[in-house]
Amino acid sequence: MSRPAPTLARLERILTMVPWLLTNPGVSVEEVGERFGVSREELADDLDILGYCGLPGYGGGDLVEAWLVGDRVTVRMADFFSRPLRLSLREAVTLLLAARALGSVEGLADSDALRRAVDKLQALLGGDGARVAVDLSAPGDELLGVVRRAVDNGEVVRLVYRSASKAQTTQRDVEPWAVVGSGGSWYLQGWCRLATAPRDFRLDRIRSLEPTGERVTGRRAGGVPPVYQPSVDDIEVVLDLAPRAAWVAEWLVVDAVEGHDGVHRVRLRTANLDWVARLVVQLGGAAMVVQPAALTTRVIQLASATLRRYSL
Amino acid sequence: MTERLERLINLVIALRETRRPMPATEVRERVAGYGQPDAEAFRRMFERDKADLRDLGVPIETAPLDRWDDRQGYRIDPRRYDLPPVRLEPDELGALAVAVQATGMVDEAGAGLLKLRVDAGDPAPGPAAPDPRLGIALDTPHRDVLVTAQLRRTSVRFAYQRAGEQRAGGERESQHRAPGEQRAGGNARDRDPAVRTVDPHALVHRRGRWYLVGRDHDRDERRAFRLDRIQGKVRTIGLPCSFVAPDDDVSVDDVVPGRRGDAPATAEVLASAEVAWQVARRARGGGAATDDGWTRFTVSAGDPDDFMFWALEFGPELEVVGPPELRAAVVARLRGLVEGAR
Repeated sequence: MSRPAPTLARLERILTMVPWLLTNPGVSVEEVGERFGVSREELADDLDILGYCGLPGYGGGDLVEAWLVGDRVTVRMADFFSRPLRLSLREAVTLLLAARALGSVEGLADSDALRRAVDKLQALLGGDGARVAVDLSAPGDELLGVVRRAVDNGEVVRLVYRSASKAQTTQRDVEPWAVVGSGGSWYLQGWCRLATAPRDFRLDRIRSLEPTGERVTGRRAGGVPPVYQPSVDDIEVVLDLAPRAAWVAEWLVVDAVEGHDGVHRVRLRTANLDWVARLVVQLGGAAMVVQPAALTTRVIQLASATLRRYSL
Repeated sequence: MTERLERLINLVIALRETRRPMPATEVRERVAGYGQPDAEAFRRMFERDKADLRDLGVPIETAPLDRWDDRQGYRIDPRRYDLPPVRLEPDELGALAVAVQATGMVDEAGAGLLKLRVDAGDPAPGPAAPDPRLGIALDTPHRDVLVTAQLRRTSVRFAYQRAGEQRAGGERESQHRAPGEQRAGGNARDRDPAVRTVDPHALVHRRGRWYLVGRDHDRDERRAFRLDRIQGKVRTIGLPCSFVAPDDDVSVDDVVPGRRGDAPATAEVLASAEVAWQVARRARGGGAATDDGWTRFTVSAGDPDDFMFWALEFGPELEVVGPPELRAAVVARLRGLVEGAR
């Protein structure tokens, strides 16, 4: 479902824009620009092209009339374009996919409005179309509504959280930046005041979350989601991933991936080996530690400690 | 670009307004931009334009010129060209825009959204870029080709890494492999995926993974395939409209691998006091306290790989009690880690 080639994308825009211009003669260039994402030059070009189009014969009365006078746009004599082109099946499928995705969990958008939109799109498609079902529910998703409100309001939240490297929970205040759904989990991204660093918090590891009423101010307000910045103290980790674990390479922030014969070798840097050790144990043999040796040691420790639970 | 754009617009107008289907010869003579002296150049140009317009969704039909003349002509039925009234309300458009932004589909769905805005009367300024405050990763390789195949009802063929067939044994072996030995010493199954031929019925996203649901030709039954286990390219084979998709609505539950009967759908686990609250999330409540302060839960375990990935995250804070085969698989994985690393 890639974007069409430039000429076709432009054609699609013109076919969508003309119906609106026909019913709104004399609108300003600015109004057209902000609705259809066109610059004055592009719009002038579009209108120029339209002026050469019309019914075969192409005489007076056959051609579209399209003018840009001063700041005002007028298109006439184009009744054949009084409606936008029908949604292509792909467009309808993509819109439905997006709407169903967001509608599959509560708290992210106006669910009722989304449901009505899905019904109308579905009616438009009739029996045609592709069946695409999306379910974004995941443990912890009951927090989505309150997390999303905190992000939108820029309100500091107090979390009781269990991090990937420990069994115990800690309490921390977080300046929220974003809600992210990825790899079957939901995350709150933000600035952690306990760690004084950007952090991702998986919602199912959040034991409790309370808005504090404090608004984020200053330079981090409305900050962009964190991008991991490796520091010089970080440890370089190299893992070999079997096909079953190949998805990890897309999910982790890795420096490099080399693949041969179905095995993906990934390199990444981290300040903390504990979470990597836990990940390797979770993958249960589908990931092999190439380096460092300290990571291998931790994997053995964690796996042995877990085995003891099974009295082995 | 300008010349082609003009020609395409003129072709749409001509075919839309023609009283009777327009034969190619007439297109060449009458529609601006097609006056090619060379017949072959005209034919190529016209073919390409038709294909691109159809790809955009312009319904160009072929039909006999009239009742007495069975030569083929082209036309666009205005009723099939025009977007029927959809009349989304402002809040519906708003929610749809949020959905398109959050899923990162502005590029793919932005044009469609714009049509709906125009249909609604006033195309208020739309989203130009994804909103960084809400992001949902739905991107996956093969989605485009599989949706297209579904729409055209074309069968697809791909190499597929079988689930759960490269377990402990093979992988422990691969742990001892030096990088250079992978071709010679690798697990045969890793390198020899099965080739599947499938009629694509539906695409399903669940728990962060995409699945293709469709009829497997060799097994002659409906199966689910994880898109991340497809190796290499998905190729379409055969002609469009080569199968009839079943009418039933595909529910997300259809793809839970536990339904196949070869894996238990639930598991019993014991969780320590430190993590019981978190396990309760997966169990969606419940849990029975034991004498030593742990809690017993029944949790879903449809896909053994997924279940073990989840369970092992808790390390010694969680024990898989049953069913026995799942407990044994967990123990085998842990032993493999301890022994394989030595």
